[in-house]
Amino acid sequence: MSDGLDRRRFLKVLGVTGTGAAALAGCSSEPVERLIPYLVPIEDQVPGVSTWYASTCRECPAGCGLHVRVREGRAVKVEGNPGHPINHGRLCSRAQASLQGLYNPDRIPGPMVRNASGQFEPIKWDDAIARITSQLGKVQGSRVWFLTGHETGTFAGLIQQFLAGFGSSNRIAYEPFGYEALRQATRDVFGVDALPIYDFGAARYVISFGADFLETWLSPVEQSLGFTRGHAFADGKMGRFVHVEPRLSMTGMSADEWVAPVAGSEGAVALAMAHVIVRDRLARSSGDTGVLRALLNTHAPADVAARSGVPAETIERLAREFASQGPSLAVAGGVGAQHGNAQLTAAAAHILNYVTGNVGRTVSFDAQATLPGGGYSDLRRLVQAAAGGQVEVLFVHGANPAYATPPGLGAAEAIAKVSFKVSFSRFWDETTTAADLVLPDHDPLEQWNDSQPRAGAYLLQQPVMQPVFDTRQTADVLLGVAQQAGGRAARDLTAESYQDYLKAAWRRIQGSVGDARPFDVFWMECLQQGGAWRETRRRTVSLAGSAARVADRPWTAPEGRFALLAYPSPVFSDGRGANRPWLQELPDPVTKITWSSWVEIHPDTAQRLGIAEGDLVEVTSEAGAITVPAYLYPGIRPDVVAVPLGQGHTAFGRYAKDVGANAYRLLAAEPTPFGGVGHYAAVALRNTGAHERIAKTEGNPRQMGRGIAQATVFAEAASGKIEKHEEAHAAEVPEKIQRLLDEVQQEQYRDWRTRGSYALATAHWGMAIDLSRCTGCSACVTACYAENNLPTVGKEMVRRGREMSWMRIERYFEGGHDTPLEARFLPMLCQQCGNAPCEPVCPVFAAYHTADGLNGQVYNRCVGTRYCGNNCPYKVRYFNWYDASEPGAATFAWPEPLHLLLNPDVTVRSKGVMEKCTFCVQRIRGKQHEARMRGSPLKDGEIQTACQQTCPSEAIVFGDLNDPASQVSKLAQDQRGYAVLEGLNTRPSVTYLQKIRNVVEA
Amino acid sequence: MRTAVKPLSEAVKGAACVVLALVAACRADPRGTPPTTTPADFVAPVNVDTTGLPGPVQPVFYRHDVHAGQYKMDCRYCHYAAEVSLHPGMPTMRTCMGCHSIVAGDNPEVQKFRDADLSDPNQSVKWVRVHVLPQFVHFPHMRHVKGAGITCQTCHGPVQEMPRVYQYSSLRMGWCLDCHKKNKVTLDCTACHY
Repeated sequence: MSDGLDRRRFLKVLGVTGTGAAALAGCSSEPVERLIPYLVPIEDQVPGVSTWYASTCRECPAGCGLHVRVREGRAVKVEGNPGHPINHGRLCSRAQASLQGLYNPDRIPGPMVRNASGQFEPIKWDDAIARITSQLGKVQGSRVWFLTGHETGTFAGLIQQFLAGFGSSNRIAYEPFGYEALRQATRDVFGVDALPIYDFGAARYVISFGADFLETWLSPVEQSLGFTRGHAFADGKMGRFVHVEPRLSMTGMSADEWVAPVAGSEGAVALAMAHVIVRDRLARSSGDTGVLRALLNTHAPADVAARSGVPAETIERLAREFASQGPSLAVAGGVGAQHGNAQLTAAAAHILNYVTGNVGRTVSFDAQATLPGGGYSDLRRLVQAAAGGQVEVLFVHGANPAYATPPGLGAAEAIAKVSFKVSFSRFWDETTTAADLVLPDHDPLEQWNDSQPRAGAYLLQQPVMQPVFDTRQTADVLLGVAQQAGGRAARDLTAESYQDYLKAAWRRIQGSVGDARPFDVFWMECLQQGGAWRETRRRTVSLAGSAARVADRPWTAPEGRFALLAYPSPVFSDGRGANRPWLQELPDPVTKITWSSWVEIHPDTAQRLGIAEGDLVEVTSEAGAITVPAYLYPGIRPDVVAVPLGQGHTAFGRYAKDVGANAYRLLAAEPTPFGGVGHYAAVALRNTGAHERIAKTEGNPRQMGRGIAQATVFAEAASGKIEKHEEAHAAEVPEKIQRLLDEVQQEQYRDWRTRGSYALATAHWGMAIDLSRCTGCSACVTACYAENNLPTVGKEMVRRGREMSWMRIERYFEGGHDTPLEARFLPMLCQQCGNAPCEPVCPVFAAYHTADGLNGQVYNRCVGTRYCGNNCPYKVRYFNWYDASEPGAATFAWPEPLHLLLNPDVTVRSKGVMEKCTFCVQRIRGKQHEARMRGSPLKDGEIQTACQQTCPSEAIVFGDLNDPASQVSKLAQDQRGYAVLEGLNTRPSVTYLQKIRNVVEA
Repeated sequence: MRTAVKPLSEAVKGAACVVLALVAACRADPRGTPPTTTPADFVAPVNVDTTGLPGPVQPVFYRHDVHAGQYKMDCRYCHYAAEVSLHPGMPTMRTCMGCHSIVAGDNPEVQKFRDADLSDPNQSVKWVRVHVLPQFVHFPHMRHVKGAGITCQTCHGPVQEMPRVYQYSSLRMGWCLDCHKKNKVTLDCTACHY
């Protein structure tokens, strides 16, 4: 150091002036701490050591396997179960946030009953059961109804038995996204009642007609994994993905080509492709397509081009690609399969797959019949019966019809007429606040249960901890009622507890999976691995005669109105995730907006209507109106607007209530021809003149030539000549100077390596992120919140750019004017620079370079000068402006019992401290402890960061850069590899691999 | 003389407050390494004048000098997790009763808990914590006890001779680092702070 005052001396000077203040601050008296031992040793718990339990995620019906990490008797993290047949160890954001359902401060703490004055008051469990029994004794069985969500396991059977015991068969299952169109189309085209199973991993060419298969549709984690394995660039090969939807969804952003047809004409485009394939005999005929002749003849590319706005040449080209670049796969779903003509969209995708010969290769059909109950049309039956006074007792479990239905249906009003309404909800949602008796269920992580999302997959749930509140599992309540009521119900349901009932069911399952061992052995193994599964023979299908009768009922918005797409939010889905603060704070993958609803409008349309971003726009349909801020989105057709579902709750706890607007209010109650809710509507827009600043984390949506998220085209990548981005604003460094800089740097490193801990270092931790795999789903962001005790800060702080998200997904747009619009994602986290700008500016040595190549951040040293944050070119350092860790403070982020999810291995930072990603250093140290204790060195891949562990598309690889055999070392040498802002000479430990786009040369 | 600090496990409580230890810094312990065993004929005094004893008063006057000194019980019999976990582990009430349902049942201190209802968590003894580290320090017991083979007494002092346990070492960072330097092991901040 040549300058006069070195860091240590500076520190000493500072120390003298700072002593007085420190002494004052240090004199607060702390209460005496107590150590309270267990009374009886707990068999599988050692304090300070994590225990992992296998269970199943119930945040959506997909049925991903979980490993739940339990410390000192409380669940602190959920991770994917690596041996699981569905998710193979990966999870989405919603599963990561399931802990916030378990510890949600707005959970109903115990059984409640509505008293004479209309208020809720606590009731004892026994009294509550007695009330149900006496009510059931008074009414006819046909007047007892039971509404559930999607239940496929033993619990569904118990409900049927319970109802039958009281002479009722009125069980309704309502799932807002129940895939009615897909089911109807499968019945029409193939004559079977089953949901298709798509093998994305085997497909080299995927075309999606609105299916958001990376977000909410069917089994998103499984599909993300399969899709990236089939599509991502590897060994000089890659797949191709074309997305056909009026709006560029998050899934569409991973596409190589986006085709935006007129809303409602997606199915016609698919049929036109099938027309071309059959007409030109592009695929070997996989059967008799004669029945389709009439249907296909009316969908010639030229005719469809006029209707859909997609040029006939494009349709012809796509058809030829689809037939020649097999194995191919066409999928139709998401909001694209939820409009009036969606049955055609789904049927057209089936037909397209059939005529190309994909059925049996990339598309197969489950041997298990699908969802019992009937979805929306059955819910309508219930609402009509309730409105007509024919429902006297209604049980509601796992459904929220008062929120998640079009208001025109009158679900809330009809249910209010039911004289005795029992809700088993864990939260005060819209339906529960109107109930008479509220009997909160256990959280899925507290209960015994199972599910069978598909044939051959029997998935178990086991309680991973003691219940947080005085809740009781609904199945146990029903068993209690049956016992008390006597009669047939008591004779049918004799199990002491639901656990016994479940075990009895699993004895039968053991038989059906062909296991001959003693039951206890089988049971223990299932508990360990999260269930039992076996390969099942898929159903073989052939074209049914009814395929000829698939009707095309074109749906278009009337002149002068916009077509509205009310799409399921990737994080809230139909709204059930809205009370999780992590999900509220998670920027929407497409718009990067938090804690809000919005309407997406094309910039040209907005300009024409005089709407700017943040203007509050009144969106009016025939069914209703909502007022939401406008977000100008280039990825949407100018004649289409889109609003996400999931927000606008009028109840559902502090994090969801009064946030955003409920887009269901715009939807018509009249069911579509296939019996679902129509998610397309014709709307008018009106600028109210009011304005709000949108709480979004997007900076500039354009890269401005900075080469942050780099991409290249497949032709270049395959030929091995990848051009690196030239740093636009980096000054030209003469070679001589560059050599000198390198020498100085190397000398510095050599110097370090001889001192203290640095002399002991063996590892240099690094990461590689493959942008051709990243789908932008943001599961890593939520996993980071969960692992590292990140506080949520709320809408106002996000507006001020004070979110604490150590990891964020940056989204950039390219083109859009003369060239096709292209979206790129870039996961941005601390780059752990080898030549870090943050380190030399820290006056207290809190930001420093660790021997193993991390930019350490010592929270207890940090005095909050924020110099490091100012000097970081990546904006990955986050400052605690307010106290998120102080109970009682307005900014406290973990109101009881939410604090129970805090990771005990990570310090909770306080006000005035700078924090950031350190590659999950607690996991590194934990695994190093393990390796030392067992006496063998760490293996490559043994340490997994939280983001890497959860990534559903395997985009993140972490490991030791000093080990030439490690996966990350190899990726760091990849020809696609680059460092962000390389021209600053920060020498990051994170290597990004360029995105590859499989585009067609113009 | 205890410092204002919070436990490792109760992460929520904690602001990473600046800890100003009120004890004087002892860079190197002038007392040397304390003995790990007591003479074979060591007998803990029957009556102890508690007025002058250092260390906090505990709800039960548990005598380490009787258990670990006179009867030569291994520390790890009660602190059962010290070799496998970050935390040493505190004996459960059943561990206490394993012996005391047979021996010394008439001792007035034993009688304070011998009839406790083991199904009621409120009836556990609420020990006053003696050795407290701030929540931003992560001290792995197993790495030291099993990995490095360091005796308990090195940090905790001659507990086997203490009628009442007190904090023997300063537990300040300089004291940690002195030992780490002497043994040429890591001095990295993120070895403990994260």
